[in-house]
Amino acid sequence: MINYIIKRIGIAIPTLLILIAVSFYLMHAAPGGPFTSERPLPAQVLANIEAKYGLDQPIWRQMINYLWGVITEFDFGPSYKYHDRTVNEIIGHGFPITLKYGFWSFIVAVGVGIPLGAIAAIRKNTWIDYLAVGVSIGAQVLPNFVMAPLLIIVFTLWLDWLPGGGWNGGAWQYLVMPVIALSTSYMASIARITRSSMLEVLNTNYIRTARSKGLPTKVIFFRHVLKPSLLPVISYLGPAFVGLITGSVLIDIYFSTGGMGYFFVNAAFNRDYSVMMGITIVVGSLTILFSLIADLLYAWIDPKIRY
Amino acid sequence: MNYLPKSLATGFLLAIFASSSVMAATHPVTGETLADDQTFTYSLLDEFTSVDPQIVEDVSGSDIVRDLFEGLMNQDADGNLVPGVATGYTTNDAKDVYTFTLRDNAMWSDGNPVTAHDFVYAWRRLADPATASPYSWFAEIMALENVGAVMSGDASPETLGVTALDNHTLEVRLTSSLPYFAAMTTHSSTFPTPEWRVRTFGNDWTKPGNIVSNGAYVLTEHIPNERSVRERNSMYWNDDATILEKVVALVINDENVDFTRYLANELDKGTVPSGQFIRLKQDYPDEATSFPRLCNYYMTFNLSDSGPEIFKDVRVRQALAYALDRSVITEKILQAGQINAFTFTPGATAGFEVPPVAFGQMSQADREAKAQELLTDAGYGPGNPLSFEYIYNTSEGHKKIAIAAQQMWKEVLGAEVTLANQEWKTFLKTRGSQDFELARGAWCGDYNEASTFLDLLTTPSGYNDGKFSNAEVDSLMLDARTMDDASANYTRVEEILANEMPVIPVYHYAGVFMLKTNVKGWPYNNVEQNWYSRNLYKVAK
Repeated sequence: MINYIIKRIGIAIPTLLILIAVSFYLMHAAPGGPFTSERPLPAQVLANIEAKYGLDQPIWRQMINYLWGVITEFDFGPSYKYHDRTVNEIIGHGFPITLKYGFWSFIVAVGVGIPLGAIAAIRKNTWIDYLAVGVSIGAQVLPNFVMAPLLIIVFTLWLDWLPGGGWNGGAWQYLVMPVIALSTSYMASIARITRSSMLEVLNTNYIRTARSKGLPTKVIFFRHVLKPSLLPVISYLGPAFVGLITGSVLIDIYFSTGGMGYFFVNAAFNRDYSVMMGITIVVGSLTILFSLIADLLYAWIDPKIRY
Repeated sequence: MNYLPKSLATGFLLAIFASSSVMAATHPVTGETLADDQTFTYSLLDEFTSVDPQIVEDVSGSDIVRDLFEGLMNQDADGNLVPGVATGYTTNDAKDVYTFTLRDNAMWSDGNPVTAHDFVYAWRRLADPATASPYSWFAEIMALENVGAVMSGDASPETLGVTALDNHTLEVRLTSSLPYFAAMTTHSSTFPTPEWRVRTFGNDWTKPGNIVSNGAYVLTEHIPNERSVRERNSMYWNDDATILEKVVALVINDENVDFTRYLANELDKGTVPSGQFIRLKQDYPDEATSFPRLCNYYMTFNLSDSGPEIFKDVRVRQALAYALDRSVITEKILQAGQINAFTFTPGATAGFEVPPVAFGQMSQADREAKAQELLTDAGYGPGNPLSFEYIYNTSEGHKKIAIAAQQMWKEVLGAEVTLANQEWKTFLKTRGSQDFELARGAWCGDYNEASTFLDLLTTPSGYNDGKFSNAEVDSLMLDARTMDDASANYTRVEEILANEMPVIPVYHYAGVFMLKTNVKGWPYNNVEQNWYSRNLYKVAK
């Protein structure tokens, strides 16, 4: 197991470096730069700015300088667009926000999705099953860019229960709508995966054997059905968790949460190279980390898998 | 002060308290009853780039900077020039030396006096290549002595043509005569900067807590992409006249959410979602506002060597311009008070009378008949249809206009037009490198004078992406710079443009917003929409 973890980390570093190099190249391949605008800057002004940020150097040198700053000083550089802030500040501000609403969305998606799927599977072809399937399909087809404005109209404009947006340090009133909007489709997927995988397990011979031996339903469910049914769910949860905590641009746009997702997308449009790279590195590292964690969890649950 | 008798001090405080509470009750000039809560909340579509006067480059950032800092001159509600930190100025006959007299009671929010040295520092900082300001070109158009050499690093910033003769006298030397120089000092990049704070905190000097400012407000909170708060600056020289206590700017990236939150009373000023102005004007006649803006929307032909041969024929350019039914675009598509354009310069521009260019005087039916005639003369017809590509930057609004234009050209002229959209920066690159046939363009004036538009179509202009070049236009615009009244030149240039048709003027912009009826003092008549929170107030409902 330890050897496996070391091996995975050994692979992770070159993977990350390749990711950085490819992103860096792609980013610079896009036409225009951070200072391209409707009114082109006079040559001297542009030259001064490029000199200040080192953009006048060849791309390979810019990349090495950038990486050197990241590795030696953990410095992701200045933002080219938001002149008053550094990338460290932008990520340091945006990531905790995204992490918070992403984490709660994950809890809600798992906490509601798995029971919903399980109930549907156990009460197959009853009204409970139809209701649960109906709810999860409904949630799946209602994308969050439709749901977010609807939530605001209902909870802010009509009922006047919740503020229409903002973050306010993550107070719960500001967290409710982002979490609902973000978790719904994940919850729906989790419910559907749980249901189908549980139905499969319920039809296996060893469950039938357990039943014929007269084991109580509760014992069968918790001891023999739940764990194997969750295997496909866990392989879904790894990437889902990373997706949730690395930011949703739509949540940031509709709820003005100030999270990392919007900065990331906006950085691409602004050609704000350093912000784009910084967030790419953070998201890339997290993706690698959580896919490793998901694999380890998998091995823990499934005795057939041993690393 | 420390030895002030206690009773006197108490009495003094009571007097201040009493007078301020009376002032909070009614407006000192109009006598209206004021609301208890003087907090003004408005929305921004996007996070602003900076609140550093010499760095900020966007409109929403400049709006904030105008509250935090005060320059030599200000604008009033009608856009007229009024004193700011300077009480006035004198100039020589050649209008290339200006001497500003600064008021002696202007203070920074930390209690330091605002002096001429603060302006000298700020203007040097603007031009200094080490600052690398994206707005340093403003120092260049201010024609400050030595600005070119300073910006290229060949001369030190100390050689710039701005000197503090004493604490309250600022002398500015220019390389050419600029009759409108004083008006340029209302621009945020000319506002003073507290050198001692910049030196202490470096790039972090604009953060709340570090920032010291000389305007009516100080920045007390800034959470990127969420909100920023500015509160009344008690050290401001004219603080007694300020009524709004607090101004909150919320970043709301989606215009529909913005509007919902306005309806939910979370905002005092909000956005009108595109295409909904007419409906909102009916439902909220006192809140939905449309006003002319100093911006134009046009289509530019590529007249450079890399451009298509078809557009070298002036008849083709005219035919396309004539065949475009502008009312369909302004009245059916945009519906927010935009104005049909037949000239490049918007009619709202100060001192600019829209000249009666011939094609603007015709009816649309006549224009279309004339367009068909012109195109037939140019040798195009059913057997040989005109065909070209129109590019625009990706946006729902531009797409609708492009499709409408495509359809009009098809119906009237039988032209085969293909449409292509490109992501913003890609589009700018394509257009800037003359890699197009017909492209969308738009321009907003830097200052309220026709040359800010017409200079764009001169040969040396860096923004002339269609590469139109006309010797008469160039010389008329060059002469206009030193004339006291250049309106005749501008009229003549517009007439040349209507004949040569290097660009198709489509419409002149209108700005729209929602403003609660209890917010008073909005400068509707200031076409540049330079608003100052200290002139706003909320009345009791």
